[in-house]
Amino acid sequence: MNTNASRQLAPVAVAAEPAQFLTFLLGDEVFAIDILSIKEIIEFRNLTTVPLMPECVRGVLNLRGAVVPVLDLQARFSRPVSQVGKRTCIVIVELTNAHGRQVVGVLVDAVNEVLEIAHDAIAAAPAFGSRIRSDFIRGIGKVDERFVILLDVDQVFSVDELAALVDASADATV
Amino acid sequence: MNLDDALQTFIVESRELLEDMETALLSLGRDADDCGERVNAIFRAAHTVKGSAGLFGLDHLVSFTHVVESVLDDVRAGTLVIDDSLVSLLLACGDHIGAMVALIAAGRTDPDPALTAQGEPLLARLQTYLAAETAPDAPATAVGTDDRAGTEAARDGTWHISLRFGTEVLRNGMDPLSFIRYLGTLGTITAIVPLADALPEAEQMDPEQCYLGFEIVFRTDADRASIESVFEFVQDDCLLHLLPPQRGIDDYVELVGRLSEPPARLVEVLSLCGAVDGDALAAALQGGPVVSAPLAVPVAGAADAACAEPQADAAPVARDSARDNTGREALARETKSRESPSIRIDADKLDHLIDLVGELIIMASGAQLAAKRVNDPELQETHSALAGLVEAVRDSTLQLRMVKIGATFSRFQRVVHDVARELGKDIELKVSGEDAELDKTVVERIADPLTHLVRNAMDHGIESAELRAERGKPARGTVRLNAYHDSGAIVIEVGDDGGGLQRDRILAKAIERGLVEPGRNLSDGEIYAMIFEPGFSTAAAVTNLSGRGVGMDVVKRNIAELRGSVSVASEAGQGTTVTVRLPLTLAIINGFQVTVGKSVFVVPLDMIDECVEFSSEPGHDYTNLRGEVLPFMRVRELFALGGAPEGRENIVVVRHAGRKVGLVVDSLLGEFQTVIKPLGRLFSQIRGISGSSISGNGEVVLILDVPVLMERAAAQATADRARHSIAA
Repeated sequence: MNTNASRQLAPVAVAAEPAQFLTFLLGDEVFAIDILSIKEIIEFRNLTTVPLMPECVRGVLNLRGAVVPVLDLQARFSRPVSQVGKRTCIVIVELTNAHGRQVVGVLVDAVNEVLEIAHDAIAAAPAFGSRIRSDFIRGIGKVDERFVILLDVDQVFSVDELAALVDASADATV
Repeated sequence: MNLDDALQTFIVESRELLEDMETALLSLGRDADDCGERVNAIFRAAHTVKGSAGLFGLDHLVSFTHVVESVLDDVRAGTLVIDDSLVSLLLACGDHIGAMVALIAAGRTDPDPALTAQGEPLLARLQTYLAAETAPDAPATAVGTDDRAGTEAARDGTWHISLRFGTEVLRNGMDPLSFIRYLGTLGTITAIVPLADALPEAEQMDPEQCYLGFEIVFRTDADRASIESVFEFVQDDCLLHLLPPQRGIDDYVELVGRLSEPPARLVEVLSLCGAVDGDALAAALQGGPVVSAPLAVPVAGAADAACAEPQADAAPVARDSARDNTGREALARETKSRESPSIRIDADKLDHLIDLVGELIIMASGAQLAAKRVNDPELQETHSALAGLVEAVRDSTLQLRMVKIGATFSRFQRVVHDVARELGKDIELKVSGEDAELDKTVVERIADPLTHLVRNAMDHGIESAELRAERGKPARGTVRLNAYHDSGAIVIEVGDDGGGLQRDRILAKAIERGLVEPGRNLSDGEIYAMIFEPGFSTAAAVTNLSGRGVGMDVVKRNIAELRGSVSVASEAGQGTTVTVRLPLTLAIINGFQVTVGKSVFVVPLDMIDECVEFSSEPGHDYTNLRGEVLPFMRVRELFALGGAPEGRENIVVVRHAGRKVGLVVDSLLGEFQTVIKPLGRLFSQIRGISGSSISGNGEVVLILDVPVLMERAAAQATADRARHSIAA
């Protein structure tokens, strides 16, 4: 229900300045996230795996004393789990929702540049045709004749949904 | 003047005073001796709250507490006997005052109409006690009070107050306005004229000096002593003249003579406040004899007024020894007279300190690891000593957060008192182990579950008086609260000497609700544990206390959130005891690291009995531990970690709530202390992991939740048994 409302709002946004997005690679596809949600980017380091977790939860890591869960976006998009490569990084994202502030890490294959995309260059997500869930997509940005999928951070990292996934997998193994 | 800090102090101290009041009131009910001192204590508590509230202009609080104080004054004087219903009334008044303080703490300093309405019936009942007392006082209506040289019992008279504040009043921290406000609580100020005549030229004026004076016309039924007591804190510092209700023009003439302003100016001011007719006064000043001597010769006028005049001079009489001028200091003196030297700390500061100590522990662990790698004996020794010191700091800091459970237990006296009356049963609360200490946050969160258990014991456990008589039990039922330490945990018992749990009814109810299949053979313990299932209640009738079945499962959940456990033991006809076990600290853990496959886990050290090499009886999942049967669980299987163990495995023998279980792990890494970091909402449903921790090398390690694992194993076994028994 919420997603419909927020998707309708996106094209109507009246902000004068163009928003900035961090683009990154997953496999050979380019995605982008609004930099306002991004706290920092760190090199890949060893994660502690947590048992009985769904595949999209790769584990947890120690971020200056705080324990932060790290998600695998490929697995979140129901694709095969990503392999760790030379340029693999973890993007730390901060979300604010009904339960307060959540800090979550995202495993990406490589981090590209920060792009400015004007609002009129963002088209609404297509009703079908994209291989990932449409409520994960905030919009499709057009940059130099290429398309960049802008992710809706609140949906992709929705803690409620993830927690439900976790519960389901925890129950399954008991 | 920044009143916020002072207001916070007022709120905290009022709450303490109200607690003292409640304790004293409850003890009055029980022991008849030493009544006098307790009544005094109760009176002092109410009086202090009223006085302090007045300083902040919290008039609604003052007026309510004033009536309570009046009743208590009568009790203190012996004219009113304190009985059970008066105790209950005073307890209710204490609650009402507490509610008003709570509102003030929330930021509302003006009276709340709903709350005021709640206070009305209480006030009415208090008045009935007062009315019984004031009836014999009737002939006090004012005229001719010369036999009472010391006091003026003028009823609803109009006084004239002439007030000149001394220069040091502001420097001493007094606000003239607060006195006027407080005066307003004793009656009605019908007219007030401020005088700034003493104010010098701008260059000579000192902003820290007070040059104010007031002429006030004041209607009240308070007596002179009360009016003078309003200005108690500045009595040394100001000039106060009180003209009583029965006064004539000559009194004003005298007043004019005493004051330092020019007569003409005073005439103007006095007529401005409507105290007197200006022309008449001017004429009197010209004509009549002006008395300038401090001790007035009685002039033609009411004899009583003349009697009263010398009293005006008595105003700056030093009362009981030098009292300080600052209101806050007076408050502090009251509180200092209570026991033990202690210091009040912000809980936030304490939490911050504990966080820092936690980080310190992690770093010290890391440093020790690094020192081991470098392999320099001196360095290692230094680090060893450092680790010892850090541990001592940790223990000390955690002690700071420990509070005695006695304070929580004594709150239950009130609960038992009220509920016993509600139920019409005679029940006594026996408390032991009050010195057992536990973490502050645990204390706060255990209060609600304990309250529910106590209420349950009283409502369902203790039988009615007739039934108890039939069974040969004493008419007074007993509820027991006990606390003690046991292997790294604190155990709290709530017991009663009532009828005990009814095993068969519980079993029947469980079968009815489909929790148990009929024909299953359950032990008593398992049957009693059913009462913690949601919606479970065998109570025939639902009272507003219990019986709806929403209580016990919430209790269990709350306790589980505190990483504790709860169990029940009962004997039919004898009584029931509910035992709650809670860990001593929530923040820092002494752990033992083990590896399973590629993962490292931590087992809480206080649950570990010993570690042995792995061996098992063929074909079964238990091992022979020096003649004892020890069932074990493979952590690898529990967490579906996959892979096969390389090398020898080990068994960590853990004990919880009297049961022993073995955990099969790969290798043992050693002791390790660190701060527990919660895993976050995402992992809240994981069963078997209670939290995470940061090991010396910076990696996250997961802490095993031993009680949950043991429960899982037991549940698994029961399920297996069921499957086998069905198949058989």
